[in-house]
Amino acid sequence: MSARWDLLAIDAQDDVAVALRDLPDGVARVRAGEAVLPLSLRGAVPLGHKVARRDLPRGTPIRKYGAVIGEAIADIAAGEHVHVHNMRSLRARRKEEP
Amino acid sequence: MTHEFLGYLRPDGSAGTRNRLLVISILGLTGGPARRIARQVPGALLIEMPYGRGQFGEDRAMMRRMLAGLGRNPNAGGVMLVGADRLRLDAVAEAIAPSGKPLEAIALDDVHEDALALSDRGLRLAAAMARDISRARRVPLPASLLRLGIECGHSDATSGLGANPLAGLVADRVVDAGGVAVIGETMEWLGAEHVLAARAATPEVGRAIVEAVAQREAWAAASGEDLTGNNPGQENIRGGLSSIEEKSLGAIAKGGSRPVQGVVPHAAPLPGPGLWVMQGPAFSPPSITGFVAAGCNMLIFTTGPGNSYCDALAPTVKVTVNPKTAQRLTQQIDFDGSGLMLGTREPEEAADALFAQLLDHAGGTRCWGEVLDEGGYAFARLGADF
Repeated sequence: MSARWDLLAIDAQDDVAVALRDLPDGVARVRAGEAVLPLSLRGAVPLGHKVARRDLPRGTPIRKYGAVIGEAIADIAAGEHVHVHNMRSLRARRKEEP
Repeated sequence: MTHEFLGYLRPDGSAGTRNRLLVISILGLTGGPARRIARQVPGALLIEMPYGRGQFGEDRAMMRRMLAGLGRNPNAGGVMLVGADRLRLDAVAEAIAPSGKPLEAIALDDVHEDALALSDRGLRLAAAMARDISRARRVPLPASLLRLGIECGHSDATSGLGANPLAGLVADRVVDAGGVAVIGETMEWLGAEHVLAARAATPEVGRAIVEAVAQREAWAAASGEDLTGNNPGQENIRGGLSSIEEKSLGAIAKGGSRPVQGVVPHAAPLPGPGLWVMQGPAFSPPSITGFVAAGCNMLIFTTGPGNSYCDALAPTVKVTVNPKTAQRLTQQIDFDGSGLMLGTREPEEAADALFAQLLDHAGGTRCWGEVLDEGGYAFARLGADF
């Protein structure tokens, strides 16, 4: 059977979807709840990495598993790779920072 | 629909998924006779506590909970305790006795410290008990008698994404059937404790969850470790994890979505139906032994690249959703959920299938770890000895 979706929104309302395999840029399919929705990826995404499902301006809380996993520290566009370069934990103590 | 499995109904109303004769050396001095006895009774399972004296406080209390809890576990049809002094031995025996199962307790004291005489006495008693417990028969039992411990070990990007949420859907099914589910590994709640706390059955339970994490964090800080400083680590980050919250949410996903009934100390009995969280170590062998001492009769163990460790007393169903792992480790992985990663399988259908397989293993079908005798146990410690 061939794949019917390429990324998974673990909770249907999540701001990010996770790549189920290494994906090239271009249109991919996101499984969210019962729906399968298209999403244009802005660049390749490795397995297990996250992609924004909607625009996430700097300071926006980012939800995965239906819970907040951190906040955007840059403006993130829908389809963009979301990782340590553009989001950060709200829980971790950031001792190095002033 | 009523879910059932074929199990051994124990005198205390609990359900065995196996019917083992347990030979437990309750302290480090009596491993020799206990080994001799267990070796000579095919099917007997040996458990050796390597400690037993010079412990104090919560460390000692935890050791006693582990010994008594393993003896009470419904997968043990009969128990032989081997000890040195009567006093300690009887204390453990008294804690196991309410389970109503056949129980013998033999001490070096009784044979004037003659370990060979103890071995001989023990062998005769154990042989009789092995014959006695073989009379037990499996009968159809409701899934409400399942007590499921859920562990993850050797994770990768597929664990938090697929395997743990899958295990969580099965935990929900067990809880909805009236059974018990438990997750542990307190350090893996770090960053997600507020999510677990929000699902707590009462505000007190919510506070206990947050406190359990704070306590571990304080222990680590006292040893000079900062648990949030370099967490997620480099390997996690390469796998796509961006924050401690995200990592921990992927870990606690294996507990499912039902209300958390309470926080239980390591190896303490699970007080009733529903989802529980155990305050315990993150490493799988002691974590799982805590579940089994708490009464778990089945385990689900999720893994990414693979992990062969299983419990000796509770059947351990190995689950992966990593397609390469499932292909490679055909004599380790009991349930292949890789369709979830391939985008070909419905999560709810996969969870129904895993739940059905869990009931089948509970009914006697061996897991790979049992076939291959991978089973182990490990006693967690807290603090130094006198």
